[in-house]
Amino acid sequence: MPEPDEAIRFESVSKCFLAPVRGEVWALRDIDLACEAGKLTCVLGPSGCGKTTLLRIAAGLDQPTSGQVLVNCRCRAGRPGLVSQEGDLLPWRRALANVLLGLEVQSVPRAQRKARARAALRRVGLGEELEECFPHELSGGMRQRVAIARALCPNPRIILMDEPFASLDEPMRYRLQEELLALWAQDPRTIVFVTHSIEEAVFLADRIVILAEGRKVREFAIELPRPRDRLAAEFARLLLDVRRSVAIRAFHA
Amino acid sequence: MAVPLSKTLKKLALGAIVPLAILALWHWASSASVVVPSISRVADVLAHPLRRPPDLDATSLADGLTVSVLRVALGFGLAALTAIPAGLLIGRCAAARAIFQPTISAAMSISPIAWMPIAIITFGLASPATVAYGDGAWRHDVLDQLRFAVVAVIWLASFFPIVVNTAAGAGGVKQAHLEAARVLGASRRALLTKVVIPSAVPSIVTGLRLGAGIAWRVIVAAEIFPGTRSGLGYMIATSHEQASYEYAFAAIIVIGAIGISLDGVFRLLASRVGHWQSKER
Repeated sequence: MPEPDEAIRFESVSKCFLAPVRGEVWALRDIDLACEAGKLTCVLGPSGCGKTTLLRIAAGLDQPTSGQVLVNCRCRAGRPGLVSQEGDLLPWRRALANVLLGLEVQSVPRAQRKARARAALRRVGLGEELEECFPHELSGGMRQRVAIARALCPNPRIILMDEPFASLDEPMRYRLQEELLALWAQDPRTIVFVTHSIEEAVFLADRIVILAEGRKVREFAIELPRPRDRLAAEFARLLLDVRRSVAIRAFHA
Repeated sequence: MAVPLSKTLKKLALGAIVPLAILALWHWASSASVVVPSISRVADVLAHPLRRPPDLDATSLADGLTVSVLRVALGFGLAALTAIPAGLLIGRCAAARAIFQPTISAAMSISPIAWMPIAIITFGLASPATVAYGDGAWRHDVLDQLRFAVVAVIWLASFFPIVVNTAAGAGGVKQAHLEAARVLGASRRALLTKVVIPSAVPSIVTGLRLGAGIAWRVIVAAEIFPGTRSGLGYMIATSHEQASYEYAFAAIIVIGAIGISLDGVFRLLASRVGHWQSKER
């Protein structure tokens, strides 16, 4: 029996950093946010609004100054999958070895590891010929695919994605967005996707959460049917609505 | 991409200019002086490495080389075994860095040879043979020549470059790589073995290369000290006293050749283990 998908809830989460010159800097202030199980939630906001900090707290890489993160109503460190902007592949490991990392550190039986890692690479569209490539031998898009495979391979029920396609060119970004949705459609997991692109958020999300200066300023439910067509009038109208409502309140805050 | 043959030949020819000039100068000096041995006399010593010098209280070139290599291997091996863990600790632990860094910085500026008198006072004539066989140590000459005092100086000479480079490598591990492994569930031990050590390997190899080079340079000076009865350094010192300079020249050539080979091996190793560093985007 597969595990039920997990919902993730932020309860009054605040995070304060001590900067050398500026003193106390509040990256997040009283964030209350629920990411529904099996849904794709996009956290949208300009640079420095606290969206990466929110994701780092969800990943267990940072602790909140106050508040808590609950997964399925339980407070735990959790082991979600994380895909960052640059992929953060280990440069001395080949593609397959990078995907194997999660299985190695989680002590998955050795006999199962390679088959699972290979299957994860196939799921993101990478063939056998690329398994033995080092990250520097792969294109930006391929590296992000390997990073997604690495995050998916240990089979986490929550996946956190921190602007994973931001450094890619537009055609590659569109392609990977569609591939991500196809993967998610096959096996819907809870995804928290951080982006500063309104269009990306509208294309991907079930729900969009807008952050500005460390505060949650608005939430939208995106009820467009899938698959979504960027050229459809309905998509353009919704995009405009989101732009209008966030532009003044968030991006020019 | 293959390098064209003409380019390789040109590189070899350019690299041969200085050695050929030295040989010409040597040939001229040997014909002008009775002290400088001729190239053919030195070549003869090199061609017969097992021959004992006729009028020297010394072993053959091959025996001297064996003892010197064993001393360096032992001192350098101990340095690698102690400096790599110490460097990892200093690189990853702020408290260890605060405790050891000032001492290491101060000790690094002292010539390793300066420790030789202290090493002799501390270890005397003790060697693995005196520990194992006591009064019968003299029967085990090679083992007896691995004097702890000399090995300790070699250890000190190679320890610092290895520890400093290992600490730099371990301290320079990208936070993003550590976090990628942490999110996947890596324990502290897994972080060390899967991220910190592989990431630091190129720096560790650089430290080993520098440490081996210094150890090999220091051995000659260390073998001049009292109590040693063999080794390439000893051969140089005694041949000077006995005016058998062809043995000193042969020993110098062997030292140079081994130094170059050692450096070449570590350079090759560095390029193999650190190939990803220059290409990382």
